[in-house]
Amino acid sequence: MSLAELLLELLVMPLVAFVIGLGMVLMMRRIGARLQRRVGPPFFQPLYDIVKLYGKRTQTSHGLVHDIGIVMAVGGYVAAETLLPMPGMNGIAEKGGLITLVYLMMVPSLGMALGVGQCANPNGSIGIGRALTAMLAYDVPFVIVVFGVAFHFGSTNLVSIIELQQAAGIAGWGAVQMPLLAIAGLFALHGMLGKQPFEIYIAPAEIATGPMVEMSGKFMGGLFVMQSFQLYTASALYVTLFLGGGENWLFFIVKCFAVLAIPVSLAFLFPRYRTEDLVRVFWKWPVMIGLIGLAFVMR
Amino acid sequence: MSTLKDIPVRYEAEEAPARSNPLANVFDEFMNFCRSRSLFMLHYCTGCGAIELPPAMTSRFDMERLGIQPMVTPRQADILLVTGYVSVKTLKRVILTYEQMASPKYVVGICSCTVNGGMYWQSYATAKKLNDYLPVDVYIAGCMPRPEAVIEGLRKLQANIAAGTSDNWKDYYQRYDHYLANQQRLFGETWQTPTDVIGEAKRYGVIGPETEGEHTRLLGQHKQPLEPLRMTLNAGKLERME
Repeated sequence: MSLAELLLELLVMPLVAFVIGLGMVLMMRRIGARLQRRVGPPFFQPLYDIVKLYGKRTQTSHGLVHDIGIVMAVGGYVAAETLLPMPGMNGIAEKGGLITLVYLMMVPSLGMALGVGQCANPNGSIGIGRALTAMLAYDVPFVIVVFGVAFHFGSTNLVSIIELQQAAGIAGWGAVQMPLLAIAGLFALHGMLGKQPFEIYIAPAEIATGPMVEMSGKFMGGLFVMQSFQLYTASALYVTLFLGGGENWLFFIVKCFAVLAIPVSLAFLFPRYRTEDLVRVFWKWPVMIGLIGLAFVMR
Repeated sequence: MSTLKDIPVRYEAEEAPARSNPLANVFDEFMNFCRSRSLFMLHYCTGCGAIELPPAMTSRFDMERLGIQPMVTPRQADILLVTGYVSVKTLKRVILTYEQMASPKYVVGICSCTVNGGMYWQSYATAKKLNDYLPVDVYIAGCMPRPEAVIEGLRKLQANIAAGTSDNWKDYYQRYDHYLANQQRLFGETWQTPTDVIGEAKRYGVIGPETEGEHTRLLGQHKQPLEPLRMTLNAGKLERME
């Protein structure tokens, strides 16, 4: 592959991810609306929101670290997209690998923590404290799942993981080969998205959206962009590890949306866990299921 | 006002220089359209009108299909909904909240109480016209207005935003002296807010001839430096906040 092609892929991959992510935000809001017997937002609503937020006339910045924090939050995911293979585009996935990707997916939370810290809003500090605790909670089953998958396929290279699954057909998919790890992974995915039972760090009614409390205008717009990247990254990684990646664009997108629809549909049915209960739930059930699954994989 | 000369004329701020981009107008229209279709509202529910908002937002009338959704902090919000009477003490908080919002921002007064004091007309502790203290974009009269009326009012606001005519937020910057005069009449001469409105007006080029005046000079005299909130770890003994 020539350098020009590689550069083009590095540019196109985050853009495509962003567009798919916007669709996922729409799907999330529509599912919520339908479950509550509402009509839901129009088709271009996620786009309107982002354009409007970037078009605000006054922008309230709380200092340099606040600005850098948002750049880190978006940039972490932009970098993660280039490591996540899409149908026909691998970017630098072969050189990066699974472990780098897992590292990069933690950068946005740390960036948010930096930015929120400078805002000096008590609600924001409480929120980001809870968010990092939640990260600690869901990362343990997540790492177990990632290790199990890498051990099963004997590689941390996402491209070869996809090739192995696609060569073996549906019977070779991660979800069929390692069902327990797939369940634990879905659990961790739900926590990673910060959806309802695990969204104590956002909690609009008590700490006023926590980390986002001081974000206005383009900062909030940056977080909206980050959200669409987050939805895409989490579901695409799950599809890559367990559902055989994408044979073509149609299958890839359908799989991604289907995976995301599970946690999103469950989200609107449950109230929140408190932080300590959240950690307890994550370190008990998905870790237990994941460890049993790991034992089956490593036997 | 016997002659034409006596009628006060308000001068508009100078127009921004013409932009060289041929697509500038298209861009503006697109931006206005997006603004009108995506409104985050902060409901400052001061009175009984708040009870009409949950049905307007939930499954019966569903505001989200119009792109209107609730937000919980002033920083993220576009609309400030004041639903009901504002007592003098509440009004301070409403103004603090309004000044923290990012422009373009819109104020919607719901219920008769915000229009003219309503049934609290004779109350000594209630601000009568919200319009005197904040630039209101749309009033929704009624005691209380039904959700249909609320949605009708918000659609009117959307139409104004899309047409680009709803820029009362500029009025707050351009006639800050007028609004501050009314605020000082209620709260006393030492009234001040943490937001530097005049500085913002200068920064964003929306300064008008009436931004500064005798009342803003008073603001300068009483200006106290802001102190950071003291945070304590002992939740049982929270500091009393002003």
